[in-house]
Parts: sequence; C-alpha cells; structure tokens
Amino acid sequence: MNKTARKYESAALADEGYWTSVSQAIRQEAVRLLEQGAVAGVVGYIAGRRTGTAMPVVAATPDQAKELIFSPACVNNLALYLTKAKKEVRAKGKLAIVAKGCDLRALAGLLGESQLKREDVYIIGIACAGVYGAHADRSQPLCDATIARKCRECTVREPTDTDLVAGTLPALPALEPLEAQELARLEAMTPQERWAFWKEHFSRCIRCLACRQICPFCFCEQCLCDRNRPQSVETTPRPAGNTAWHIVRAMHLAGRCGGCAECERVCPMDIPLNLLNRKMAKELKELYDYEAGLTPQEKGPLTEYKEDDDESFIK
Amino acid sequence: MHTDKVKHDFEPKIVALVCTWCTYAGADLAGTSRMQYPPNVRVVKFPCTGRIDPVFILRAFQKGADGVLVSGCHPGDCHYMAGNFHARRRFAAFRKLLEFVGVDLSRLQFSWVSAAEGGKWVEMVTELTERVRQLGPLTEFRELELAEQWSGATLTTPELKEAYQAI
Repeated sequence: MNKTARKYESAALADEGYWTSVSQAIRQEAVRLLEQGAVAGVVGYIAGRRTGTAMPVVAATPDQAKELIFSPACVNNLALYLTKAKKEVRAKGKLAIVAKGCDLRALAGLLGESQLKREDVYIIGIACAGVYGAHADRSQPLCDATIARKCRECTVREPTDTDLVAGTLPALPALEPLEAQELARLEAMTPQERWAFWKEHFSRCIRCLACRQICPFCFCEQCLCDRNRPQSVETTPRPAGNTAWHIVRAMHLAGRCGGCAECERVCPMDIPLNLLNRKMAKELKELYDYEAGLTPQEKGPLTEYKEDDDESFIK
Repeated sequence: MHTDKVKHDFEPKIVALVCTWCTYAGADLAGTSRMQYPPNVRVVKFPCTGRIDPVFILRAFQKGADGVLVSGCHPGDCHYMAGNFHARRRFAAFRKLLEFVGVDLSRLQFSWVSAAEGGKWVEMVTELTERVRQLGPLTEFRELELAEQWSGATLTTPELKEAYQAI
C-alpha cells in the first residue's frame, strides 16, 4: 500500500481536557485504593524521560500513584504483567490495573485461561480515544496521521465489566480502516503472491522474539520454539526458521489473541504480524462463531469442539 | 500379481501422519490383504490425531516432503474419546493459516480411515501421490531452507567471495 499517496488529517482527535480528565480519574482512584490498602500496587503508566513518551510502572505508594498518567503515548498492554509468568509482580498481592479496551480483551483472555482470578484484580477501565502508532511523530497530538492502525477500527473504546471507568469518550470521527483494507488486499492475491509477500517479510525477521516477550498470551514457561532435542522450529534467524516461527506463533495465538497488536508495534523490522492474528480471528469467527471480547469465556474455539463441526476438508 | 512398474520422472515424497488405532491398523490391513499402493509414502505413527501438532506438518514440508497426509479415526471412534474432534478444529484453523501464508493446500490431505478401511487407505495414498506428482516438487519450502545458508555457491559478490575464502 502506498502510504505516501494518502493524505492524513492533522487535526487532534481528542482535546487536552480529555487526556487530563482521564489521568485525574486514574490518579484519584489509585491513590484512594492504595491509601485504603485495598490493593498492593497499581499497574499503570508514568511519563517517560523524553516528552511524548510513557512507561509502565507498578505504583506501590500513594505518592507514586500521584505520578500516574494517561496519554496517547500509553501504548503498552499492561495485562502482560498479570500472567503467572510475571512472578515478581504477582507476589505483591492484589493489584489494580489501568486497562484500555484492547488490554481488557487480553485480561478477559487471561481470566478465561485461569492465569488470574477476577477477585485478585481491580480493573480501572479507560474510555480510550486511541494511542500513537509505532512510528508516529510524537510532537503531534493524536490525530489521523499518528494514531495506531489497530485504533482506527477499535470496537472496544467503551470498557465493560470493569470496577471503574476513567474518563468519558469524546466524539470521534470514523477513520479509514487501513488494516482491514490491507487484509482484504492480501486475501485477493494469488497464493504465490501471498507467499512472496510473507517470504519477504519473514526473511527480514531477526528473531529478537520481541513479539513473544510483549505478548500477554505467550506465558509458557518453556516455549516450544526454544526447545531442541527434538527441535520443532529452527532457532537461527534464517528464512526457513523465521517462517516456521511466525506460523507457529500465529497458530498458538489463534482463538486467544485479543488483538492489541503489541507484537506488531514492538517489531523492529516492521513485520505486519497483526495481519496474521486478525486473519486467524476472522477465520475462527467464520468457522466457530468465536470472537475475543471483554467478557471472559471459559473455552476458546480450539479448546472445545462440537460433534457436527465442519469437516468438508477431510476425506 | 505384480504389474509392470511405470518409470516416472519425479517420485514425490509423501509423509503420512497417522493415528495408531485406526489408520495405522487400516494401513496394516491393506498390507495383509496384499493391496498395492505407491511406495512413496512414509508412515509416522502417533497415539492419536490429537497428538499431531500442526508444527509436525510444517516440519515435514520444511524437511523435504512434497505432500503430507494426516489421517485418523472417524469422528466418534476416537480411542481417547475426543482427540480427533479437537484435531479437526485445529487442522481447520491451520489450513486457513497455511492458505493465508500462501502454501498450496492440495499438497495437504486430511482423511478419516478406520481399521477396516484398507481400501480407503490405498485410495488416499494413491490419490495424493498422483496429485503431488502432477504438481511437481514443492519448491517454496526448499528454497526457503536453502536461503542464506553459508556455502561458497551462494556468495554473489566478489567481496563476499574473498571474505569467504579468507576464512
């Protein structure tokens, strides 16, 4: 897709007042919870050292909680810190978490997979206007040009099933669904063209495994792809092993992925990983009418079955 | 009984991932009944189709298989009650993924072959072998496997050749 040909609007999607009011609401609630001793820590964001950045933090005192913010730079999916694999965070006790819509979907997934219990977490949901994309110019406000691709077609701006909702959503214009367009473009290609497309992308992969580290659902203690004897996936960053890794990754996330697109954001080689995840989500919706949502579901599409499932592809 | 062998230019490698309770027994029956089928197939036995991880299929392709046959018990006949039901969903999803990445799905065949269906096993193997023979060798994965492998043959620039020779 020719990105230079497209004209992006530079008008801010939400005014300053929205961001400050959300930050205020988070701070107020976090301070209250910590002062009352209702939680041992609040997983949220604080401002980064450079302007226009933010970083995750576990605020353990009311003073630290006063530093919490919410801005378009709060891109991280904080649900990552609540899996059983993050032992040092979980050891603190009951936690509160600041969660955007996409983080909530991941949280719902983790609750469904028994990674955490609902009573062990206090969820501060955010009525989220969107966050910056991976290469956004952060001197600009959140606008058509800087918003992340996933946020353009977000369906979970208004959180549900949370303990508190911070902020009220401003009126947002409908944005062009770039990712859906790209997916449709790929689907319309011939298999050879698609193979060439992915071959080019996967060949660039340096196997830093940032996509795995950032994913809330990649919580296995030992990853299949790290194992040797027997080895399932070649570990060297060569095209063959890379292709296998990305196929296996997409397969293991099929029916679980919450669509936060963090894998795509952290990829240093700009591989459009969320396309794979979205494709799988779309197929599972068609096949088994399953959709990752904000409410935890006990079984995913690949962990349950029906006796009359489609088997037209089996002879 | 033996028919004259036809010489082919290309003999495809077919890997069959089968469950021990049904398809393996079915293949056994085909053998004991002295049925003829192409010797291109390499059978790998698993306890159940539920044990067949999609990564096995991928690895078969990567390590040189031109076609893969996955076969197990008919739905409802699983020795472990529901293994093939779970496998069915997993394979349906995996097929879609492979298709999206651009793999030719006619090289991948799923089937249910029970212990009594020696004839169906022969039919499956023959059909897949002939189909893959028509398609020719699977070049995509092979090229991928060879890409960026360190050998003098792939050094394209004089600088690289020089550096390689200096090692």
